[in-house]
Amino acid sequence: MKTSKLTLGPNLFNWKAETWRDFYFRMADEAPVDSVYLGEVVCSKRSPFYAQYIPDIIERLEAAGKEVILSTLALIMTKREMESVREIAEAEGYMVEANDISAAALLEGRPHAIGPFINVYNEGTLAYLTRKGATRITLPVELESKSIEALAKSTSAELEVQIYGRLPLAISARCYHARTHQLSKDNCQFVCDRDPDGLDLDTLDGEPFLAVNGVQTMSYTYCNLSAEMEAMAKMGVSHFRLSPHSGDMVKIAQAYRDLLDGKSGIAETEDIISEQSDDMPFSNGYFYGKEGVVTEGERAELGE
Amino acid sequence: MSRTSSMTPPLTPVLLAGMAVRPLPLAPLQPILKGAMNAIANRHPDVFERLSCLDDPVFLIDPTDLPFMFLLTPDPLMPELKAVRGEEEEAINATATIRGPLLKLIELLEGETDGDALFFARDLVVEGDTEAVVALRNAVDGAEINVMEDVLSFLGPFARPAGGVAKSAISLMARAANDLEMLRAAAISPALRQSEIQAAKLKKLNEKVDGISRQSRRKRVREN
Amino acid sequence: MTNKLELVCPAGTPASLHAAVDAGADVVYLGFRDETNARNFPGLNFNRKELAEGLEYAHANDAEVYVAINTFPEAGNPEPWKKAVDDAAKIGVDAVILADIGLADYAAQTHPDLRRHLSVQASASNPEAIKFYREAFGVQRVVLPRVLTLPEISALNKEIDVETEVFVFGGLCVMAEGRCALSSYATGESPNMTGVCSPASHVRYEDEGDRMVSRLGDFTINAFAPDEKAGYPTLCKGRFVTEGRASYLFEEPTSLNAAAMLPELMEAGVTALKIEGRQRGRAYIAQVVSAFRKAVDAAAEGLPIPQLNLDSITEGQQKTSGAYEKTWR
Repeated sequence: MKTSKLTLGPNLFNWKAETWRDFYFRMADEAPVDSVYLGEVVCSKRSPFYAQYIPDIIERLEAAGKEVILSTLALIMTKREMESVREIAEAEGYMVEANDISAAALLEGRPHAIGPFINVYNEGTLAYLTRKGATRITLPVELESKSIEALAKSTSAELEVQIYGRLPLAISARCYHARTHQLSKDNCQFVCDRDPDGLDLDTLDGEPFLAVNGVQTMSYTYCNLSAEMEAMAKMGVSHFRLSPHSGDMVKIAQAYRDLLDGKSGIAETEDIISEQSDDMPFSNGYFYGKEGVVTEGERAELGE
Repeated sequence: MSRTSSMTPPLTPVLLAGMAVRPLPLAPLQPILKGAMNAIANRHPDVFERLSCLDDPVFLIDPTDLPFMFLLTPDPLMPELKAVRGEEEEAINATATIRGPLLKLIELLEGETDGDALFFARDLVVEGDTEAVVALRNAVDGAEINVMEDVLSFLGPFARPAGGVAKSAISLMARAANDLEMLRAAAISPALRQSEIQAAKLKKLNEKVDGISRQSRRKRVREN
Repeated sequence: MTNKLELVCPAGTPASLHAAVDAGADVVYLGFRDETNARNFPGLNFNRKELAEGLEYAHANDAEVYVAINTFPEAGNPEPWKKAVDDAAKIGVDAVILADIGLADYAAQTHPDLRRHLSVQASASNPEAIKFYREAFGVQRVVLPRVLTLPEISALNKEIDVETEVFVFGGLCVMAEGRCALSSYATGESPNMTGVCSPASHVRYEDEGDRMVSRLGDFTINAFAPDEKAGYPTLCKGRFVTEGRASYLFEEPTSLNAAAMLPELMEAGVTALKIEGRQRGRAYIAQVVSAFRKAVDAAAEGLPIPQLNLDSITEGQQKTSGAYEKTWR
């Protein structure tokens, strides 16, 4: 699996601008990842804070030999949002990741990436998008292995699957961070910046269930497909995505890299990732065609 | 009068009230229910086709204002409906149980009322396999069942003259529903009554989030 | 420019189709009895013969029938979806409602004369997305996602040459449709993959004496005191705890009712109004459709919208104008 690539997905959370910048600088300098996705996917109100740092970050990432892909918004509702996506799409010389079909349409005819927020569930859709220039497709989170395999078999495009981090499950026009704090979306006071890994949401019985990230709803559990990477690589999945969290992403990336390179085993990897993830529960159920929340397969026997 | 009463649909208020106040043998009811079921099966085979997505379901239908319940086995080849006593409930391994006032259940059966609406208003209580209940509701709703006509069709040649009797029986039943409500409150459905008594203390328990000990948020440290 | 709004009504069974047509529906939309549609509920929907009969009934009464084939075909198993499109074309339905790009491509290539609408599940929320579906697959109408405000809908209609259809009554998705995996996270089944959200097969109501609890999979979605109005445990309509406070964080158990906004929707250039509820009974359908028939007719005449008296059948018996008003966000 030495040829498998590790990528760093777009940071989905609202981190302080300087934290955001320093995070990417460090990733550029230290993280063993091949590609870095950069840009706002969740809420258009966030990007003005850190936009100024993007050119420097791109330069530093490229200097470190890392591929840079510019990510775009998942839910585009206003003219202003559309314009911001159009600007990114028109950026010369950069690979852009479309997360709404409107962005994919703007990118038609040149190589581009399709993010997990565009519904690529089958060969027909995959073939259509690759005909229009998509060269890398990150699959929706709820696909099971048999679907991933069928898609991989049908295409020569690069396929990417998220293997680490909270799963982006839903996006809305409504902001649930603002609602939690009894604020309106228009006057949200950017309260989502208080929760660098999302805000835990529990059931009435006190059981952790989901996580709120502004207009996005995520899994409470962290997805971890360490034990499934080998099978996916055999199917033809070429890229594995780490979704940024506040743990040490350099150590996390290194752990997955070592596993891919055969330098360590599942249990060792698990220990490192768990430690860097604040001992959060992991899940991999979607891969097995089960509830996304559950853990199945080899890792289920690790003594959870 | 004996002829009329033999043709009267199974659940006249008189009969119900009678059952309510004294233990009534259910045996005489069974052939009537069997006949009604056969009539529905003959006239609405699509009901059972729509239920074919389920694995041999058994429904317990509990009119909360009656002292007995109905057991429905919608087997496409041999659908069965029979009356059972409350005491038998435990022994019956029902796929799902639907509880509610008889008239509401009949309205539901005839598609005259919306199951979701009944449930939102808490008129119906559903226990067990919710998918089976939803399937039953959808199947029945899609069938355009008319209890009167279907039951009358099984009564055969007497259907016409009985029609008027049946219709007035239904309206009588509606009026008697109030009386039944009193009976119910008095004795028939102790479980329901009990829950009403509990209502006051229930309220304060609602949303008692703070008191509940939160589950361990972090997973246990892995044993090697 | 004030053409009469078209009233598009749901049917989960032939009985409901009859009820909708009889109550004055201009169009009935429905799905096949399988995973190809987003209301793949047990005991619901149409087989091919029922569709053909329903279509005949509708056409005899000057109504049309649209078939929703609006889940995302499974990789390695495209046949049920292709066959659904083929059969809908063969039976002669008035339009198909599609969500998947690959399937829209197939329908456009294979049945160019079959009218194609874009399902709300495609979540086309901006002019560029809608133009894409128009140009790529000849889509003639788009059902707008329930995330847009009235002014946004109005602005959108000025930029596109595609008809728009909006929801005016019934259940309300609070997440962008077709982009929500909450249900599969808890149950393994989702609208996109299997055409169900919070499936009944994973729902349990448990009477705990002091409260009735509704569960979805392993998770408590809500709990009710005995005298409290209850609701089906649709995941996003549940009560959850954030920051130590329990609330209907995503959405109260309400129904959308935008009847009062019909004049504004006409003004905004909307072509058709959609009523949600293929899973609801024919009593619901008869009641809602006839109420909206009156409302649409009144709006077309420039008359005040009559009281619809639909409160008793709305979920949780509360109503909202949803995303049409910005305060909702």
